[in-house]
Amino acid sequence: MSSALAVFRKDLQLAWRDRSGWLSALAFATISVLVYSFAFDLATADIRPLLPGVLWTTFLFSGIFATSQSFQRESETGTFDAMLVAPVSPSTIYVGKLISNLISLLIVELALLVLTTILFDTPLLTGELVLVVFVGTVGYVSLATLLSTLGSRGSARAVLLPVLALPLLVPLLIASVRATGAALGAPIDSAPWLLLLVIFALWSTIGGALLFPVVSER
Amino acid sequence: MSALWQVLVAIFWWVIHTLLEPIWNARWVALPPLTGVMMMAMIVGAVLVAPREIVEGEVQRLMYIHVPVATISYLAFFVTAVASAIFLIGRDMRWDAIARGAATVGIMLTAFALLTGAIWGKPTWGVYWSWDARLTATLVLFLIYSGYLLARAVGGPNDEQAARYAAVVGIIGYIDIPLIHFSVDWWRTLHPQRIIFAPKPALPGEMLLVLLLGFLGILFLTLWLITLRGTTEYLVQRADRVRARLDQLERA
Amino acid sequence: MTTAVPAIAAFDLTKRYGGIAVVSNISFSLRAGSKIALLGHNGAGKSTLLGLLSTLITRTSGDASIAGHAISTNPIELRRNIGVLAHLPMVYEELSPLENLEFFARLYEVPEAATRIEELLRAVGLWRRRREPTSILSRGYHQRLALARAVLHRPAVLLLDEPETGLDPAGIALLDQLALDNPAVTVLAATHLVDRVDRWADGVLRLDRGCVVEAPDPVTAEVSS
Repeated sequence: MSSALAVFRKDLQLAWRDRSGWLSALAFATISVLVYSFAFDLATADIRPLLPGVLWTTFLFSGIFATSQSFQRESETGTFDAMLVAPVSPSTIYVGKLISNLISLLIVELALLVLTTILFDTPLLTGELVLVVFVGTVGYVSLATLLSTLGSRGSARAVLLPVLALPLLVPLLIASVRATGAALGAPIDSAPWLLLLVIFALWSTIGGALLFPVVSER
Repeated sequence: MSALWQVLVAIFWWVIHTLLEPIWNARWVALPPLTGVMMMAMIVGAVLVAPREIVEGEVQRLMYIHVPVATISYLAFFVTAVASAIFLIGRDMRWDAIARGAATVGIMLTAFALLTGAIWGKPTWGVYWSWDARLTATLVLFLIYSGYLLARAVGGPNDEQAARYAAVVGIIGYIDIPLIHFSVDWWRTLHPQRIIFAPKPALPGEMLLVLLLGFLGILFLTLWLITLRGTTEYLVQRADRVRARLDQLERA
Repeated sequence: MTTAVPAIAAFDLTKRYGGIAVVSNISFSLRAGSKIALLGHNGAGKSTLLGLLSTLITRTSGDASIAGHAISTNPIELRRNIGVLAHLPMVYEELSPLENLEFFARLYEVPEAATRIEELLRAVGLWRRRREPTSILSRGYHQRLALARAVLHRPAVLLLDEPETGLDPAGIALLDQLALDNPAVTVLAATHLVDRVDRWADGVLRLDRGCVVEAPDPVTAEVSS
């Protein structure tokens, strides 16, 4: 476990040093919200029904982009191999990477929530909403971290990653959007969305930890 | 591994071998005629035997192929998931060939299911696509396993790393199915609209019979196609190895 | 002093990529403390063999062991005993030499890390520049840092792939000091600098098209073909 923390700490150091990484994720997220605002005319009165969708599509795209970037850099400089050659199991590396990707994306999402609160004059930083965002993020970050190893082979096309990840993330997307909507005061429907999110997050984290050794082999 | 576990595994493999091996060996002899017969029965049944449905008319006969195809596509992808798991355990590329073949067949079946759904839908309910929960889930499945095939295609027929990665996608894709179904189902119940596949009053006997024939026909068709496609993938692997070896010898 | 356990041993080790055997039924046994040069033309399988021994590359068949730990059963313990130098320096460009070594020290659970890191950074001449980002260092200093990373945890075995790359004569002297002339380690180093081999190597492991054509005697480490 201390190795996982070492990996996580190193990733944070890297992210701090090379701020362009998550700054571009942040920029991408901001631009997405603006694009949606123009495309769906979000300057009108009540955009609350659309907000969860806007938020989660932005989160998913930024998240997939950011995790694949993070992995690409490590594999290009050979430092991923340096970790594989250390006396740690690849699952430990996965946990470390998962935590660091999670923290990076939570920060971006938090910033985006603040931005959206201002842009659309809607209080977004409620406890319930933050909880939903947290659980949902764990779900998609764990899957994206597992799948991001696709970029490790020269001939693989990084554009394939969203094509692979997004269909698998459909349950998470639907559940997060509905749960976020519920947190914003939309009429409650009886489906246990948060429970689905928790199950998805558990399944994808455990599956990721178990399967990461398989995808990181050469 | 404890001795008990090894004994259980040995028994399991013995059962597989004694029961399935004769069937496996007979596959080229048995499957084509069986498929042919069952498919003919299904078509005859659907076109001639089944009574005309009062409300929907002739187009309703598509149900006899649409429902089995949609259902059995899940079987094809199950084969992919299981073959992927076996491949990851033993690293025998033949299982990767089977997984890949089954996924191709599954994709074909799913596409056909979506297509027949659209053809049935338009005259019956006025729309090609109605976001029905089950069909939407089928569409997501189609996309997942298209992704599987795309990921597998990277690197070539014998690329073990691509095979491993795709196998992981193949397995998690299948485990995702219940989650997809729940989420899409709950999502659709929020939007009251005409329900396409409402539980109808029990189908009359002849319709059920033809439906059953349909299931059997498509089942055998799928098994046969998976065998064909899996064998093709395996032969492609071998041909690629032979070509690589020839290149190597020519260079030497 | 002869120990029964060879430092590095391979048993019919094979790696196939799509039917082509890049490394084919390789068997050898290297005595602890020996310095063995891994020679062969480009494409002979040297890098693949080193990759297999370090568990970076998964074997197709056969097995290998380092310090008694086999790839098939104890890969993590095996990796505790190896230091690896590959074609890429495997260091983080955005971090300083100090931060790089601190990370690896944590990963390898190196005891008294601060002392060890200082000792190595001084030895490779990076102490004064220890807080600068690695990206501004020259290729030679990258290689020196990589070397420091490889020996940081005092591994019993060093697997080096063309370690002299990018090193000036002072750097090569460092390589000798830390690795090639270090009595405490076993070294298997792939190299193209054949002239130097007589100087540091006890024996030669030569590959041709994935097969062993020359191997050192397991006991005396003298060359036999």
